[in-house]
Amino acid sequence: MRQLLQTIAQRSEAWVELRYHARRTKRIAVSSGRLEESSSVRLAGVGVRALVDGVFGFASTTDLSEAGIAHAVHEATAAARASAAGKRERIDALARVTPTTGEFSVTTDDPLDAHSLEEKLALAMRLDERIRGASKRIVSSTISYSELQDEKVIVTSDGAAVRLVDAKPEFRAVAVAQKDGDQAMGLDSAGVSGGFSDLFAKRSAEEMADKAVALAVAQLGAEYPRGERATVVLDPGLVGVLSHEAIGHTVEADIVLSGAITLGKIGQQVASERVTMCDSGPSTHLPHAAGEVLVDDEGVRTGNTVIIDHGVLRSYLHNRESAAHFGVEPTGNARAFEYSDVPIIRMRNTYIEPGASSKEEMIADIKHGYLLEGLGGGGQADSNAEFMFGVREAHRIENGKVGELVRGVTISGNAFEVMKSVDAVGSDFQWDLGAGHCGKTQLAKVDAGGPHLRCVVTIGGRQG
Amino acid sequence: MTDKTLTQLCARALEETRKRGADEVEAYGESVRTITVAIEKNDLQISRSHKETMIGVRAFVGKRVGFASTNDPGAIDAACADAVVLAKASPADDRNLLPEAEEIQSVDGIYDPGAETFSTQQATQRAVKMIDLARSMDDRLILGEGEFSVNLATRALATSKGISRSEKESLFAYFALATARDGERVSNMDFQFGAARSAEAIEVDPVVRRACENALGSLGAEAGESFHGPILLSPNAALEILAGLVLFQTNAKNVLRGMSRWKDAVGTAVASPLVTVVDDGRAAKGVATASFDREGVGHERLELVKGGQLMSLMHNTYTAAAMKTKNTGHAAGSARSLPGIGPTNFEILAGKTSKDELVSEMKKGVLVTRFSGRADPISGDFSGVAKGAYLIENGRISRPITGTLVAGNAFEALKGISGVSSERERVFSFTMPYLRLEGISVTAG
Repeated sequence: MRQLLQTIAQRSEAWVELRYHARRTKRIAVSSGRLEESSSVRLAGVGVRALVDGVFGFASTTDLSEAGIAHAVHEATAAARASAAGKRERIDALARVTPTTGEFSVTTDDPLDAHSLEEKLALAMRLDERIRGASKRIVSSTISYSELQDEKVIVTSDGAAVRLVDAKPEFRAVAVAQKDGDQAMGLDSAGVSGGFSDLFAKRSAEEMADKAVALAVAQLGAEYPRGERATVVLDPGLVGVLSHEAIGHTVEADIVLSGAITLGKIGQQVASERVTMCDSGPSTHLPHAAGEVLVDDEGVRTGNTVIIDHGVLRSYLHNRESAAHFGVEPTGNARAFEYSDVPIIRMRNTYIEPGASSKEEMIADIKHGYLLEGLGGGGQADSNAEFMFGVREAHRIENGKVGELVRGVTISGNAFEVMKSVDAVGSDFQWDLGAGHCGKTQLAKVDAGGPHLRCVVTIGGRQG
Repeated sequence: MTDKTLTQLCARALEETRKRGADEVEAYGESVRTITVAIEKNDLQISRSHKETMIGVRAFVGKRVGFASTNDPGAIDAACADAVVLAKASPADDRNLLPEAEEIQSVDGIYDPGAETFSTQQATQRAVKMIDLARSMDDRLILGEGEFSVNLATRALATSKGISRSEKESLFAYFALATARDGERVSNMDFQFGAARSAEAIEVDPVVRRACENALGSLGAEAGESFHGPILLSPNAALEILAGLVLFQTNAKNVLRGMSRWKDAVGTAVASPLVTVVDDGRAAKGVATASFDREGVGHERLELVKGGQLMSLMHNTYTAAAMKTKNTGHAAGSARSLPGIGPTNFEILAGKTSKDELVSEMKKGVLVTRFSGRADPISGDFSGVAKGAYLIENGRISRPITGTLVAGNAFEALKGISGVSSERERVFSFTMPYLRLEGISVTAG
């Protein structure tokens, strides 16, 4: 395939990027004792992007013959020409890069295919039963397991020619508890780049099922918090959510150019000097981050991009087009979810660097506040860094001690204000956003994390 | 791909799966052709074209089921084999059934042959028109994102129960996401969507105009006030806060999972008497209109809630068998996935009071045009930021407000709806009025 794509690319007068992507998806879902899904999807196709007179066009095909791919090149070129008349700003050039060549593969000692379908089914059935048997309050249980296995070949007119092999499994446990007509849900999940045992390296499947039960049951009858501004300790999961969702999107160069709050702020102090935030293609600190991307979909080798260095905004996240616009090196953030998607700027593994404090020290100093753990039921952030997230598990902190659980907690604020309020950063580190997808007109597997840290946020509550 | 070719492909996959050892089979095919012109920051971003045929095979070995799909014409046999292997490894479930073949009535008005020749150039012209309109309205406006797309699809289905159906459809879809910037002041972003089944019915102007007007209107917003009282939801916000709950609770799959509180609620009041909710897969020119569902069962108009009373859940063949009731034809999903359950054209019927009258009855309240936050369909708790919000004082919209949090419980809110507007707007496949909720926590940011 690599040779075929190279031959076709060489023939094209316009700059082209050809991306062959074959994906195998498997999914198992069990709910309340019944198998809901055991499925497999095989996708294969080539996506072609052409740059003609400073305008991009894109076409995709499932016809993998030489003629089929050549026709897609023709269509992409024609699409670019069709836009040319109405396009105001032309792309002068793409940032130059050293062409990446070679083979890149996700590392694991325990490949997904070494585990049988029967084993994965049995695991899902067993854990679903475990949830239902754990408490008489449990009225619903769901276990889902899925895996993506990718093979990509990326070839560009200016010399990139790489083959990539990747595997990303994920696991999810959901429990719903009920008492006196009140229902609450508990959830735990994991997602990695790697093999089967890598998925359960941090927490076993049993631990995740038990955690889902404990969370669901504990919320029944728990109090809702009072709305207030409060000092909180965030766990690595929420630190990851804040880094990815509230700050990360505002430094994606396409969002920056659309008028994000970060425009023109490179070199400025935007966070506490205790905060260093990065977005990395490879896994850093700990292996198997779910957003692992070794070469991006423009054929650019990825590294670790320092976004905020000791509180100072240092870099946006770029593709080759935006890097040329800003006169910087591309950061390897161009990603497409499937063969038919256009590569756009996406995050990979976004995190805050560990500091020197322990979680216990951070809690001990708080007179009144909250210990907040995990993302619970979504949230949203805008390009002005205003955010609002649901919290999965929240405990009050009174006089330096962790107290009772409160439910329905949301946190909100301006992410940069929150980052300025950081006065302690933990020495620990976890990836914790590996399950699920990030959505930005198309999906992407990402991860995010960091240490525990202490900051000030607005706690959403109920008004009288 | 013609509907005949796709039907033949499905029939072939059906036979292949049988040969591999399946007792019953459903083969579902989707062939799509799309042209999309994307807008970014008042300029064209990229044009793209996409063509794909996907075949999904559901194999039954006894009462065991497996599903496999592919877009690779060379891998259809492999997918048929996958489906049988997956079925054989699965536990049996008596509810795994295929629907019997029944006559259905086809719908009209969802296919315009003119869409076949609608070119990338023509699509680009429409997108340029969207940008030009936004620019001509006000210098402060930015069409941050937008899109104009032409979508042609053929669906076909063949089952071992003797169902063989196919249908073609066309859809022109467009959206605008506008923001206004005046010096350092930035408005909330507003999103509007439009769609048409025929080239003749395309109307991009009202969509762009509404997004731009809403963005301009929210410029200069300042902090609101904290109180406990009524809020008026725009069709968009009503969709985000309430429609999700109704869809989750009426999904029979969630009832079987033990996740729905409306398990035994059919015939009881779940909403204010002002509320009637209908799902109509045959709505004239609706975005989700089609003759048959993902399992080949004919679509019908279904009243989910009538005068506040829960009338029915949404079923597919599996859940109807499990709950020993009528299949409502709500099998949903693509050729990539097993049939799930989902709505078609979902609507809350219009009320008798105009939006302005609803406002005039409010002493103090908030008009919420967009909701950004969390709406938990299980507990019903919602909590989030009211975007593009306006303070209502003494029966008038007094000023735009920002950073205001609204929180409440959607189960209670549904029952407490005190007003349903006579005006309605279409958001994707949802048609919603303005809804006035009572007793909501409003907190100034």
